[in-house]
Amino acid sequence: MNTKLKVSKVSKIYPGCIANDNVSLDFKSGKIYALLGENGAGKSTLVKILSGVINPDKGQIFLNDKLLKLKSPKDAKNNNIGMVFQHFNLFETLSVFENLSIDSEKNNDQLRILVNNILKKYNFKINLDVPILNLSAGQKQKVEIVRCLIRNPKVLIMDEPTSVLTEQETEDLFFSLKKFSKEGILIIYITHKLKEVLSLCDEVAVMRKGKVVSISRTIDEKLSSLANKMIGESLNKIKKMTSNNLSGEQILRVSRLNFNSEDPYEVNLEDINFTLNKGECLGIAGISGNGQNELFQILSGEILSNSGSIKFRNKEISKLNPKERREYLMAFSPEDRISQAAVPSLKIYENVALNNFKTSNFFERGLFNERKIKDHSKKILSNFSVNTDNVNLTSQFLSGGNLQKLILGRELITSPELLICFNPTWGLDVGAINYIHRTLVKINQQGKSIILISTDNDELLQLSDRISVINKGKLSKIMSAEEVNPEKLGLLMGGGLVD
Amino acid sequence: MIKIERRNETSNLIYFLTPILAIFLTLVTGAIIFYLLGFKPLEALKFFFITPISDLYGLSELLLKATPLCLIAIGLSFCFKSNNWNIGAEGQLTFGGIVGGGVALLFYNHEGFYVLPLIILAGAFGGMVFAMIPAILKIYFNTNEILVSLMLVYVSKLLLDYLVVGPWSNPEGFNFPETRQFSDSARLPILFEGLRIHAGIFIALVSVFLAWVILFKTYLGFQIKVSGLSLKTAKYAGFKGKTMILLVFMVSGACAGLAGVGEITGPIGQLHRMISPEYGFTAIIVAFLGRLNPIGIVFASLIVALTYLGAETAQIFLQVPKYTGQVFQGMILFFLLASDFLLFFRIKFLGFKRYEY
Repeated sequence: MNTKLKVSKVSKIYPGCIANDNVSLDFKSGKIYALLGENGAGKSTLVKILSGVINPDKGQIFLNDKLLKLKSPKDAKNNNIGMVFQHFNLFETLSVFENLSIDSEKNNDQLRILVNNILKKYNFKINLDVPILNLSAGQKQKVEIVRCLIRNPKVLIMDEPTSVLTEQETEDLFFSLKKFSKEGILIIYITHKLKEVLSLCDEVAVMRKGKVVSISRTIDEKLSSLANKMIGESLNKIKKMTSNNLSGEQILRVSRLNFNSEDPYEVNLEDINFTLNKGECLGIAGISGNGQNELFQILSGEILSNSGSIKFRNKEISKLNPKERREYLMAFSPEDRISQAAVPSLKIYENVALNNFKTSNFFERGLFNERKIKDHSKKILSNFSVNTDNVNLTSQFLSGGNLQKLILGRELITSPELLICFNPTWGLDVGAINYIHRTLVKINQQGKSIILISTDNDELLQLSDRISVINKGKLSKIMSAEEVNPEKLGLLMGGGLVD
Repeated sequence: MIKIERRNETSNLIYFLTPILAIFLTLVTGAIIFYLLGFKPLEALKFFFITPISDLYGLSELLLKATPLCLIAIGLSFCFKSNNWNIGAEGQLTFGGIVGGGVALLFYNHEGFYVLPLIILAGAFGGMVFAMIPAILKIYFNTNEILVSLMLVYVSKLLLDYLVVGPWSNPEGFNFPETRQFSDSARLPILFEGLRIHAGIFIALVSVFLAWVILFKTYLGFQIKVSGLSLKTAKYAGFKGKTMILLVFMVSGACAGLAGVGEITGPIGQLHRMISPEYGFTAIIVAFLGRLNPIGIVFASLIVALTYLGAETAQIFLQVPKYTGQVFQGMILFFLLASDFLLFFRIKFLGFKRYEY
């Protein structure tokens, strides 16, 4: 079975941005193709065009020399183009089999035989009759893949599939993808992770600002050459120096912290204990959905915890709300930039006013001091190199990276003693990630402490002095950064034990 | 080909133009309806919208009706801006009227400068307390404030019914369902001899000013705005969410209570069954037509008040039921919501070009 997919001069223009600019690509089955690019490079747009979610303004797509009209995702399916999105499209409370049968025309008995054959062939170990919510992220992804395989796809498109997987699960996935490729399925693998391109793919197309800037064989590429192509400038790798000003002065103590939620979709936390010293960065690794959200909200005061469980600079703070905790010089940068850390429809200076201190005098005698807030905002914009100096700009027009700089700037400009951040670089491009990492290292050097909750292991290994792993609401033992490596982390994240 | 696109930026101009567009469409549709009913459309519209305010008395009536609408809508804007859906202003108005009226009846044979302020405060207090019921139930039991506040409207209306028929009915009133007339010192002063416009309008104007200051210039207003846009952010910023729910309901209830007490101490002068022609519900339209903006609400209340007057004139001159007024109010809200679509989307006419994929 030979499959040829040809993308010919595809353009898609959104108001104010050219998402795809005259993109032409050729794919042939038997190879795994990487589509590499930063966020906003146009990968997702191209993928959405290939899967029929959006229509291009110009250009054609040919499958085996036949012109394809992809007006809807259904057309893509009917033309044997399978797609696994970054976010799973599964019904959590339905069983695996029910999820698979929803969009299948086959009757249940036939489908079950077919699915069982697929599972056996690729050695996927999934129980078909358990609800999706009991599965790990890796298993959920396998369900999505099986859903595509049922339809005998000619083309399988994977959109950033490893963002939620452990190291082990990632290896499994790569093994399966290679197997699919040998069987003649054309695989297009979308990612911004350079290592994955080199270890998995045969050819790589790099996109930048909507254009294809390079097409090459991966054996001719190195990490650094790909990185340069992707960002178009040379990348300075940050290396964390082991903080030399660790005074040993304890700043935060969390002891016997328990949290039992009434909400079945929240994770309970069990007996969390740790301490944090001045100038230290404690990394908390883990696969998302293992209690990071809850831990962050408890540390920030959005959820109040059992009394006596959190002491900050020897003061009991477990019953204080986020605003009161800020007065004690804590700062918080939540995972969800767009709907929690800031309000997109508010202006920049209004978003700055969200972090309101007694001493900042934003509201004198309850009145909004617009000039003071604007001056303060201007300072943040310039100190944290946000790409605008217009404090009246509505925040939704900031890119993800600039918004995150604004938020971090807002939190840091008050010189807090402790910053708690949750996935601070999630979904950002390399330039912005770089900037944020440098900022975090800098505040550590100034003797401020950081708790970094992150699902990005590279980030954790780069920035942390000590690392712990959260799994099913429990923290692993805390290890110093030198004794940790990606394999160890992966094992702990998957619920295993080390030493 | 017509293509509908999401707008990148909502322009301020469009934001305030759509209410005007809605009013225009209402007039056009109104003209069509009158035409179908066999009237000359322009003449009918003139009877509806021009004749009622073509003399001083008419203007005074317009302000008289706009006063409670404006007052209630101002209060509602606090709730709506912060994502609290208080639909029960009519009930809060009625309960404020009951409490204020109760105090007025207590002093029915008293004279004194202190009587009126006491009644007004009692009315505001009554509306406030009545609005606290849905707020407290929402805070502690997570009930839906839309249902609770709406159902409480009927509770207070039936309570008023019971009171004016039973214990509070006028002993010398031949069993009419109404109370005694309030004493003169329990009445809001009339501004001009021969017209019904009374001092209640000043209460409304002061509320407009205070609301503008609070909503746009204070920390409280900022908190209300943020909570309305994103509760998650409000929580993250550490705003006291529960206190705020209670507070906006209290403001809203107090305003409705003031409107109620303004009616009974103003034009009515006693309690009876019909102290409000559904001002509490109509004010919801006013609040949205005014874009939840205090200044906008002033204009919106005048326009909607005109539909009340127009309906009465039309009833006299055209012999159509006065419920046509409600038809017009309904149309305004309908067209407003429909034209809000234009806020977020724009319609592009592409001609008959074909696209190649």
